Amino acid sequence: MRQIRVLIGKAGLDGHDRGALVIAQALRDHGMEVIYTGLRQSPQQIAQAAIQEDVDVVGLSSLSGAHRSLFPKVVEALKERKADDIPVIGGGVIPADDIPFLLERGVKKIFTSGTSTDSLAEYIKQLVGNGEAVAEPPSKIAHIGIAVHDIEQAIPFYHDLLGLPLEKVEEVPSEQVKVAFLKIGESRIELLEPMNEQSSIHRFLDKKGEGIHHIAFEVDNLEKRLAHLKKQGIDVLNETPVVGAGGSQIAFLHPKAANRVLIELSQHSDRRDD
Amino acid sequence: MGKATDYSSKKQEWEQEAETTAKRFPERKEHFQTSSDIPIERLHLPEHATDDYLTKLGFPGQYPYTRGIQPTMYRSRYWTMRQYAGFGSAKETNQRFRYLLEQGQTGLSVAFDLPTQIGYDSDDLMAEGEVGKVGVAIDSLKDMELLFDNIPLDKVSTSMTINAPASVLLCMYIAVGEKQGISADKLTGTIQNDILKEYIARGTYIYPPKPSMRLITNIFEYCQRQLPRFNTISISGYHIREAGSTAVQEIAFTLANGIAYVEAALASGLDIDTFAPRLAFFFNAHNQFFEEVAKFRAARRIWARTMKERYKAKNPKSWKLRFHTQTGGSTLTAQQADNNIVRVTLQALSAIMGGTQSLHTNSKDEALSLPTEESARIALRTQQILANESGAADTVDPLGGSYYVEYLTDEIETRAMEYIEKIDQLGGAVQAVEDGYMQREIHHAAYETQKKIEADEEIIVGLNQFVQEEEAQPELMKVDEQLEADQIRSLHEVRNGRDQELVNQCLANLKKAAADEKVNLMPYILEAVRAYTTVGEICNVLREQFGEYTGI
Repeated sequence: MRQIRVLIGKAGLDGHDRGALVIAQALRDHGMEVIYTGLRQSPQQIAQAAIQEDVDVVGLSSLSGAHRSLFPKVVEALKERKADDIPVIGGGVIPADDIPFLLERGVKKIFTSGTSTDSLAEYIKQLVGNGEAVAEPPSKIAHIGIAVHDIEQAIPFYHDLLGLPLEKVEEVPSEQVKVAFLKIGESRIELLEPMNEQSSIHRFLDKKGEGIHHIAFEVDNLEKRLAHLKKQGIDVLNETPVVGAGGSQIAFLHPKAANRVLIELSQHSDRRDD
Repeated sequence: MGKATDYSSKKQEWEQEAETTAKRFPERKEHFQTSSDIPIERLHLPEHATDDYLTKLGFPGQYPYTRGIQPTMYRSRYWTMRQYAGFGSAKETNQRFRYLLEQGQTGLSVAFDLPTQIGYDSDDLMAEGEVGKVGVAIDSLKDMELLFDNIPLDKVSTSMTINAPASVLLCMYIAVGEKQGISADKLTGTIQNDILKEYIARGTYIYPPKPSMRLITNIFEYCQRQLPRFNTISISGYHIREAGSTAVQEIAFTLANGIAYVEAALASGLDIDTFAPRLAFFFNAHNQFFEEVAKFRAARRIWARTMKERYKAKNPKSWKLRFHTQTGGSTLTAQQADNNIVRVTLQALSAIMGGTQSLHTNSKDEALSLPTEESARIALRTQQILANESGAADTVDPLGGSYYVEYLTDEIETRAMEYIEKIDQLGGAVQAVEDGYMQREIHHAAYETQKKIEADEEIIVGLNQFVQEEEAQPELMKVDEQLEADQIRSLHEVRNGRDQELVNQCLANLKKAAADEKVNLMPYILEAVRAYTTVGEICNVLREQFGEYTGI
């Protein structure tokens, strides 16, 4: 595999380059080829350098508060030069409020203060090495799982009263549950009833009573993604994917990774017809 | 016995000086005592003096100034509490200044935005997105008038963090004084004016080193005649430390830069004792408390020896290293930002124990943005608490004589001197900067620190230990995005309203003067400034003449 090439750019007039230099050095130590632009580069100069140097990713650093104006300009400058396949990531002093703004304008990811250089290097390797797949965020909420004592008693509210179409009721042996799916928009409500006392739903009902049990995110590349999350120190409840409802591949993450919400990652099976 | 006699005569000398000082600046209390009524002496001394004590420590206000540059230090007057502030427009910053003065701040410190610091007008393409972001935008004298509106310049001392265009902003300050009816010789304050550390660590350079050094010596020469009370340079280790250096590197590289300025001024024909008393320094107060205290003490000793022994300065004022301190911005964490108040308190205390002349305490939210008014107030209150409640200011050099602190002071001095000698061998600081020597040393130290933090060998609370998972986002200060357009509009109004022919003439004169190395540019810049010529216009003329530095 060819060496990963990274351009570290300082856009605008900001002279704080400690972070940029440390990151350049760290990425070199991770075996990457790093080109550092030096201070005071215009977005056009950075885009031009990225293309000339044939880099895989552009990393921008700003501590002067000009990121809202300059980062999107680099993205645009790459686009103008038909090089929008080169992802742009950024860091520095970036208030959390500004991150959605930057992502909307095509910045791939913002690393906030305190990110370790190891996890940054890991991210770049994933981004470049395995293509977009792993880095692509979950595409939608596949379903919201609600634990119930008895599916037959729960269905009338969702189906008859609210009018959500009932798609199917089936048993999922891997989780020892009986489930009902009700379609809502592009997502679903999943009602979960324990099949026996070994079921985790049974324990949940015992401890907490009925209620929201988990949220499932629709993802692709589940296996690689799981490996990636484990590497990042996230506790996973399923080391490898198991078969879920409708033959989908699923895996659960430990709630402590996500503010005490149980997260299921779910990948469509090809057989599923919706 | 010779030793005992030496000690007592020196002590008497100090006592007399202390009495004289106390008459001019009365001590805050007649008697200082602890909560248990234990008397606190002005200075505490070893019972048995040795030669070592006199050569290494001496008495405060006396060579080599290890224990402080004034005989009574904070018993008479606290350090100047000087909070760096500036954002957005001159008008907004003026309001923040007046607020800080009302809150008991005793000096002003102006933060300029990056276009101003790099000599671009707000409508320059290079300025896009940066106007008013990290400081106030100043294009012409008009903005400077607004900045100091209703602030009488003979009543405040003003520090300006301005380097490459320092002469332009200083001239604007003089011109505002003129408009207020205050002559230049009454102005007090400091311009940073330290270009070498810009190449090393801070990045707001414009011209190459040689013409930059000329501008600096022009200022030295002009000010010793016209602004005798103004500090003409603040030789800064702050940014060197922020860029990742160690404590030893911070003072070694700063003092080496100081030596380079001295050499340049001497080479331009100035006498050491005419400019050396107006040299000021600026250091960082970082996390390791005792090392920081020792660092400040060692810096004073090295500078005193350098000025007296190496440069044969005769005026004791030339020997004294006076310094401003700012707590270490890079030690602040974005995580659990309230913890930063505690960090700042400890760092500030180290600066006080180290005998600083003025102090800026950072606000807790500066790892995330410029400070809000509330967080800026807490930062100022931190200093007021240290001054008024801790008792740390009640005796001179309270840690002097600690085995540990004296050991660290000696070690830092020795190690810093090794660096200074090495830089001398490389041909001095200007050459070392051009070769990238200091930059490499700092970068190496910065990378080592990062690796230690990531390996958990260095613990940063809230970052790699004692991490909190769910964190509320604090309220942050936001600079109005509309500001850039407003600033550009008012700049255009100034351009339309001024005597353009006069401006052209001033710029032509400046250009001609710049071509002759022997001419002092200050009077030409002052003329241009008075005619509302902008920072960018003046700097562009000098760019054409001097060229631009592009890094190494």
